[in-house]
Amino acid sequence: MDQDFQIEVRAGSTPPVIAVSGEIDVATAPQLRECLHGAIARGEATIVLDLLGVTFLDSTALGVLVGALKRCRDLGGELHVVVADPRITKIFEITGLTSVFSIADSLESAGAA
Amino acid sequence: MTEIADRLESGDRIELKFPARGDLIVLARLVTSAISARAGFDIEELEDLRLAVGELCLLTLQGSDAQHGDLRLELSVRGDAIEVVCTLERAGVASAPGPDGDEVARLSEQILDALVDEHGRESRDGSVRAWLRKRRGGHAE
Repeated sequence: MDQDFQIEVRAGSTPPVIAVSGEIDVATAPQLRECLHGAIARGEATIVLDLLGVTFLDSTALGVLVGALKRCRDLGGELHVVVADPRITKIFEITGLTSVFSIADSLESAGAA
Repeated sequence: MTEIADRLESGDRIELKFPARGDLIVLARLVTSAISARAGFDIEELEDLRLAVGELCLLTLQGSDAQHGDLRLELSVRGDAIEVVCTLERAGVASAPGPDGDEVARLSEQILDALVDEHGRESRDGSVRAWLRKRRGGHAE
């Protein structure tokens, strides 16, 4: 288990911001899935997912994000992803997900207030 | 770039075996980073290999009952390339795939297509085996 992995749900921002740091892989992705699905189940159709502190991301993490995006869109919302690290951006690019997700390089440009 | 004294040469081979648990795949990634650096791969190639080997492990575990098997990783330096073979031993067949299973497998394949020169997967004699090959400075996306 990645000791640096953390999820922070920032209360009070609109839309809600879920900030993740550390490595998101097969060991930690279930925690992210639970957090995202929990927020969506509470009626949050649009979420800003802050990945600025993420140092590694694999296909299981992407699978969680794709699943959450579908749920958000089913409710008429959106999952905005914030990424700045070129290594993380590259993973979205090579999987073709830059055309699927709304990706921003800062919280401000993702519309988080 | 810092010169590493303990370089690996063509023909050198390293093996790692661990219980086939997802939370231990980080070990495969760590070893891959160390081996790749000693085999002369640059930092970007090293990051590519670290991600690719994690995906190789995930593909090997897919559809198996990983609670009862071992994952064996063999990393071999061959000329200007590194070859990685990941084998799942002594595991049964899982009763159901995990959540997002098909989507994750598709993404794994896409990542491997983009990051390595060659890769493949096969089942034989009750074992699942996946492999990849990447050359130094040889793969363009």
